[in-house]
Amino acid sequence: MGNKQTTFTAQQLFYRYRDLAPQLVPLDYTNHPDVKLPYELIGSMPELKDNPFRQRIAEVFSEDGQGNMTLDDFLDMFSVLSEMAPRDLKAYYAFKIYDFNNDDFICKSDLEKTLNKLTRNGLTEDEVRMVCEKVIDEADLDNDGRLSLDDFQHMIVRAPEFLRLLYVILLNQKYIYLQIVDAF
Amino acid sequence: VAMSTREQIRAVRDLPMNFEEKKRIRWVLTLGQLRIIRTIVMCQSPTITPKICCGAVLQQRELFPQFFRRFGYSLRSARQTLQLWQGTMKEIGGKFGTSVLTYFLFLKWLLMFNILSFLINFGFVTIPLLVYDHTPDVPAAVSFRGLEILTGAGYFNYTAMYYGSYSNETLAGPVEYNMQLAYFFTISLYMVKMLVVCFCSLCPSPCSMAKSFKKNYVLADPASSSAWQLLCTWDFTITNERAVRQRKNNLCVQLKVNESLSEKAQREMLTLSEKLRHFGIHLGSWLLSTSLAFGCGISIYYLYTASWSPQQEAETLLVPFVVSLMNLVIPLFYSLFNKFEIYSSHRKQIYALVLRNVLLKMSILAVMCYYWMNVVAVKFSCWESMVGQALYRLVIIDFLFLMLGSLFGEFLSNVIGTKYLPRLGVPEFDVARNVLELIYAQTLAWIGIYFSPLLPVIQILKFFILFYVKKVSLIQNCQPPRRSGRAAQMKTIFIALLFFPSFLGALSIVAYTAWSLTPSEQCGPFRGLNNSFSAIGDWIADLEEKTPGSEWSVWIYENVIKSEVFYFFISLVVIITIYIFWQVTEGRKLLIVQLRQQIVNVSVLKPIQ
Repeated sequence: MGNKQTTFTAQQLFYRYRDLAPQLVPLDYTNHPDVKLPYELIGSMPELKDNPFRQRIAEVFSEDGQGNMTLDDFLDMFSVLSEMAPRDLKAYYAFKIYDFNNDDFICKSDLEKTLNKLTRNGLTEDEVRMVCEKVIDEADLDNDGRLSLDDFQHMIVRAPEFLRLLYVILLNQKYIYLQIVDAF
Repeated sequence: VAMSTREQIRAVRDLPMNFEEKKRIRWVLTLGQLRIIRTIVMCQSPTITPKICCGAVLQQRELFPQFFRRFGYSLRSARQTLQLWQGTMKEIGGKFGTSVLTYFLFLKWLLMFNILSFLINFGFVTIPLLVYDHTPDVPAAVSFRGLEILTGAGYFNYTAMYYGSYSNETLAGPVEYNMQLAYFFTISLYMVKMLVVCFCSLCPSPCSMAKSFKKNYVLADPASSSAWQLLCTWDFTITNERAVRQRKNNLCVQLKVNESLSEKAQREMLTLSEKLRHFGIHLGSWLLSTSLAFGCGISIYYLYTASWSPQQEAETLLVPFVVSLMNLVIPLFYSLFNKFEIYSSHRKQIYALVLRNVLLKMSILAVMCYYWMNVVAVKFSCWESMVGQALYRLVIIDFLFLMLGSLFGEFLSNVIGTKYLPRLGVPEFDVARNVLELIYAQTLAWIGIYFSPLLPVIQILKFFILFYVKKVSLIQNCQPPRRSGRAAQMKTIFIALLFFPSFLGALSIVAYTAWSLTPSEQCGPFRGLNNSFSAIGDWIADLEEKTPGSEWSVWIYENVIKSEVFYFFISLVVIITIYIFWQVTEGRKLLIVQLRQQIVNVSVLKPIQ
C-alpha cells in the first residue's frame, strides 16, 4: 500500500470482477453478455467477507434483488461505496441497505435485524426490543412508527462522519469515482 | 424504478433522432458511465425519464469539452500530491478514524502557521539586521559549545536569535529602514494574523468549522442517542475479522450502557444522600486539582528565585525540567481522580479533565510570566534576551519530554498491555491530552516571539519531527479508538481552547510588555525609550514635523488609537452584535420545535401506504 493515490478505471474493476469467476466472465464485453455472478462469489471477496451487511449490500445493488450481480451492478456498488460518491447518493443507499424488507421504510423489524447483525446476539430479546423502540422514538420525525428516507437523511445530517465510513476500500487503494466518468 | 443498461439502450433506439446522434449517445452511454450517472440523476429526481437523462448527459459533454476536464483533473491530482503528508493523513484516517486524524490535521495546521510566521519575521526583521551587520557581536571569551542547543545562552545570546542583538537605529543602505518600527509592526502583524485566522475558523459560514459548530451545538445532541449509535457508526471500511468482532462487542456494551443509564434516570431519581455524595466527591476533586495547580505554580516561583543565575548555565535547565515533569505527571493524577468521580455523560467527563489540565498549564505559565515581568525585568539589564532564553529552554525541554512521553506513554503501555497485563489491552491514542500538549507548545512560541524572533524556526523543527514520531508511535503501538469519535465537535473545542486562554493570554503578556515595561538600556531595538510603544509615538511626532501632508495619519493616531472612547465604542458594537446573533439563535431553536410539530401534523394527513 503506498502513499500515492492510485486511480482505478472501470477496466481494473472489470478485471477484479472477472477474477471472481474467470470461466463465467468473457473478456470481450462489447456484446453485453448476460452474465451474473452468484452471491456466494461476491460475498467471498476479501473486502466484503467480514462485513456483516455484505448480503444486504449485494442484494441492494443487484438487479434481481437476490445478490447475483452483473458487471453493471458490480461497478455501481463500488462507485457508491467509494470516496467520491455524493452524500445524497450514499445516504440513499445506506437507507436501502438497512431496509431489509424493501418497503422504503425502516420499520421495527428492519431495526431488529440490523441490531442482530451488528451485535451478533450479544443483547437479550428484551434489550433488543427496547433499543429499537428508543431508536424509533428518537429518529422518527413524522410519528408514523417507522423511519422514512427523510427521517434517515435528517439523522445523517447530524452525523456527517458516517458517510465517510460508508466506503469499501478496494485492494487497499481508493477508487476515484470521477476518473471513471472521464475514462469513457 | 431501476432500468437495466439494455433497456436504456433500447429506449435510446426508440428516440426520434438520426443515426449519427444515436451513435454518439450510444457511445456516451457506455457501460459504467450510464449506470453511474443514471443512478445519481434518478436519485435526485425520481420521476426522471431516459430522454431527460440522455439530454443531461449530452449537455454535460458539450459544455465541458474533454480536454478541459482532463486538464482540471490532472491539476487537481497534482495539487493533491503537492500537499504535505496527504497520503499519510489518508492512511491514518482510514485506519484510526477521524478523531485521531483531527490531531494530525491540527499539528499540520500549526506547522503551516509557524512556517508563515517564520517567513514574516525573517523577512522583515532578521534579514535587514543580517544585511546591515552580519557578524554577531561576540565577545572574545565566548565560543560555541554543545550546551547552547539546550540552554540557548552563551554563544546564541549574541546572535540574531534574541531580542538583544537587534539594533535600534534606522539602517542606512539602499533604503532607509527603521528597525524599531519594523520590529514592532512585525510582531503586531503576527498577532493580528493569528486573531483573524482563529476568528475565521470560529465564525459563521463559509468556514466548515463553523458549520460543524452550528450543527453540533445548536441542534440536539445526537451522539448519546441509540439511534445514532445503531445506524450511523458502523465502519464499513474494516476488513479484519477480529476488528469486526471487537466493534460488535463495543457496540453491544455501548448500547447496554445507554439503556441502563436512561432506565436508571427514568426509574429512580437519585436519592438526596447519593446526590450529596456525588457533589462532595466532585467538590473534593476540584479542590484537590486546583490546589495542585496552584501549588505547582508557587513552587515554580520559588524555584526560580532560588536558581535564576544566568552565569550557571546548567542550573538554568532545572526549572524547565521541573515544569515539563509537572506537565507530564500531574495530568495522570487528574485521570485518576476522574476514575473515582461519577459523571452523567462521557462528554462532561472529558470536559472536566480538559479544563483541569488547562488550569494547570495556565497557572504554571502565569507564574513564570509574572516572575519574568516583575523580577527579571527590573533586576537585570538586557532582560528581554534572558526571557527569550528561558522560553527557548522551555520549548526545547518540552520537545524532549514530548518524545519521551510518546516512548513511555504509548510504547511501554503497549508492551505492558500485551505481555504482562493483557487485561489492559493495547493503548488507545489519547487525542485530548496530545492536543493540549500541542496548544501549550504553541503558547510558549507565541509568548516567545517578542523576545526571540527566530523561535518559530525551533517550533517548525519541533513540529516536523513530532509528526513523524507520533505517527510511528501510533501505528506501532495503538489500536483504533473503541468509542465512536465525536470529531467535529472536538475540533471546535480545540480551536476555541487554542484561541481563548492560549492566544489571548500570550497577546496580553506581549501587550503588557510593550506598553508598560521599560525596555532595557543596552540592547534591543527599543533601547532608550520609556516603553516600546513610544517608538510609534516618536514616529508620529516625526511625521508631523517632516512631512506636512500627513496630518490625517497624525489625526487618526491622536484621536482614534490613543483615545479610550474609540475602544469603548467598538466594544459596544461587538456586544450588541453578539446579543443580536444570540437572539436570532434562540428564535431559530423555537422555530425548529414548531416545525417538528408541523411535520407530525402533516404526516397524519398523508394517505396510509
